Amino acid sequence: MRSYLFGVLWGFAAAILIALTALFGVWWERKVAGRMQMRFGPQQAGPAGVLQTLADTVKLVVKEDITPNLADVPVFKLMPYLVFVPSASAFAVIPFANGWAPFNTEASALFFLAVPGMGALGMLLAGWASHNTYGSLGGVRAAAQLVSYELPRTLSVLSLVVLAGTTSAVGIRGAWQWWWIVVLAPAFAVYFISSIAEVNRGPFDLPEAESELVAGYFVDYSGIRWAIFMMVEYSGIVAASLFGAATFLGGGLGIPGPLGVLLFVAFTVAFTTMMIWVKWSFPRLRPDQLMSFAWKVLTPVALVQLLVAGVVSAL
Amino acid sequence: MASLGKTDSASDSALGYSTLESGVGNVILTSADALLGWSRGQSLWAFPMGTACCAMELIAASFSKFDFDRLGVFPRQGPRHTDVMIVAGTITEKMKPVVIRLYEQMAEPKWVIAMGNCAISGGIFYYDTYSVVRGVDQFLPVDVYIAGCPPRPESLQDGIVQLRNLVRAESVSPGVRYRRRTEIPLRTAPAPTTPAPAEPASAAPASAPSKDPA
Amino acid sequence: MTTTFAATMASIAEKFKSAVLADSDGVADACIRVEREELLGLATELAAKGFDQLEMVTAVDYRDRIGLIYRLVSATLSASLVVRCDLPAEQPRVVSLAGIWPAADSQEREVLDLFGVAFDGHPCPKRIFLPDDFCGHPLRKDFESPTLIRRPDLI
Repeated sequence: MRSYLFGVLWGFAAAILIALTALFGVWWERKVAGRMQMRFGPQQAGPAGVLQTLADTVKLVVKEDITPNLADVPVFKLMPYLVFVPSASAFAVIPFANGWAPFNTEASALFFLAVPGMGALGMLLAGWASHNTYGSLGGVRAAAQLVSYELPRTLSVLSLVVLAGTTSAVGIRGAWQWWWIVVLAPAFAVYFISSIAEVNRGPFDLPEAESELVAGYFVDYSGIRWAIFMMVEYSGIVAASLFGAATFLGGGLGIPGPLGVLLFVAFTVAFTTMMIWVKWSFPRLRPDQLMSFAWKVLTPVALVQLLVAGVVSAL
Repeated sequence: MASLGKTDSASDSALGYSTLESGVGNVILTSADALLGWSRGQSLWAFPMGTACCAMELIAASFSKFDFDRLGVFPRQGPRHTDVMIVAGTITEKMKPVVIRLYEQMAEPKWVIAMGNCAISGGIFYYDTYSVVRGVDQFLPVDVYIAGCPPRPESLQDGIVQLRNLVRAESVSPGVRYRRRTEIPLRTAPAPTTPAPAEPASAAPASAPSKDPA
Repeated sequence: MTTTFAATMASIAEKFKSAVLADSDGVADACIRVEREELLGLATELAAKGFDQLEMVTAVDYRDRIGLIYRLVSATLSASLVVRCDLPAEQPRVVSLAGIWPAADSQEREVLDLFGVAFDGHPCPKRIFLPDDFCGHPLRKDFESPTLIRRPDLI
């Protein structure tokens, strides 16, 4: 009984932490994007605008809840959660410390790769249930894009698994060696680009293309339901950065103690900033460019990298 | 120069609202008013209904020299995700049903800013045209009017700040429109002084008497 | 006017008995006035003689008649030409030139929309700017509408 209570409390704490992560992500993006465009970001809400996202969230919670007349109402209302829960559960397997992750299992790296992929189904259904042409188009594009970019991402993490000898994320972090940075550099590049595509971000944000589809698969969502979609996107960025910093860079380069923690946090923020940088620098890819990039560029690179990793690990 | 539509307590009570003139209200409701007012005012996401030249100034106001984002205003496409519709530009008879439809798609609570002379009264197209709707307030409840042809981005940001004052003064108490009438700092015409040479071109604002926002 | 162009104009003037060379007021190299019965023949002849681009179709309301104005350009002759054709104000009908120059398609719809000129043989004769249920033709001088407010000093 007590463990159930603990589980529920941990669940609440985790949800709040993930929401805070998304809040940080949104604020950081608006400041970084602003500075990159030679302007300030939010300035007036709290010091340096840190409370801006809080204001946005409170406002969105008390907005009117609109369900389109012809929409498939149960599916429509369920979809934000179907997209959020798998994406948030990815946080559970990230090795935050040496030898510890909130959910430590033997196949946790595979868990990290596979479970957020269920969000693709949620996006497809969200667009479809809105009974809106542009929503459906966005949903279909989201499903195609997410499924395509699963492959390079999985192959790049498989290179890690081959070198580490275990599919456990905690084990990968524990088995990190400094020369992985050199050998796995292409894998990291593939992982980074695929992660950007997996969270519908940056030059791969076709499913929510503003100038084209007017917000794609979440065009008919308002208020808190839309906010949950946004939380998925921003918490996905932070989760991908955390996992990349923990595994490809050994979580602070394997240095124990507070310096290692500082480096881990610094790497995470650096990767998040790079994802923001990439989004605000590049124009959007066309659907055919997107697909051909995944299948004809990233996947071969990841396969070659897997071969190299296998050869190196056998030496 | 932006000015709020004048509302007074007489017309408010005729419509069934009341105003808490003395600021009375229990601590839960006033705290809720404060939090919701602050958050709604701080994050007014704008739907840029820009049809003509004023749209250029609207876009310029969101760029780096003038920067909407520091006020919390973010231009989003998609009416369902926005709070305030900024009608920037001339609205023709053919465009009117489109604007109405988009306004109805916005989620409550929502406000409207009429930016530019064409949206206020038809502007330079008031005479001799067969196709222009003379003023957006003929079919939308406008909260803030921003005069200018086109108004400078600073004027638009001033209008956003005025709208924020209006939003912050609203109340969630049942049947009450505004918490304290005196909390909305209405801009009135400045007292005539000897003209300073470096005065910017912000003359006495023509405070447009408007219908109450319904 | 080059010699070829002058020769072309002269041959056209004598082929169509109602075609009159007029002063183009400097907007084009030449101007031809023609009656509406001969408009189609004149247009076919001009297209055959090298005037392959129709730049503009517009109209003017002179209160007792409506004047149609066509502006043509020829790359081979390096010349521009204005063709004017007057129509009676009560029932302005004229043949459509959309079969000769495809550019006439949308421009004749504009003249239909704003002046009420009917074009026989036009592939899609409906309004192009104004809503389909709009009453009246706004650029006519006698256009009345409750929403039209005339400037006081110009009435």
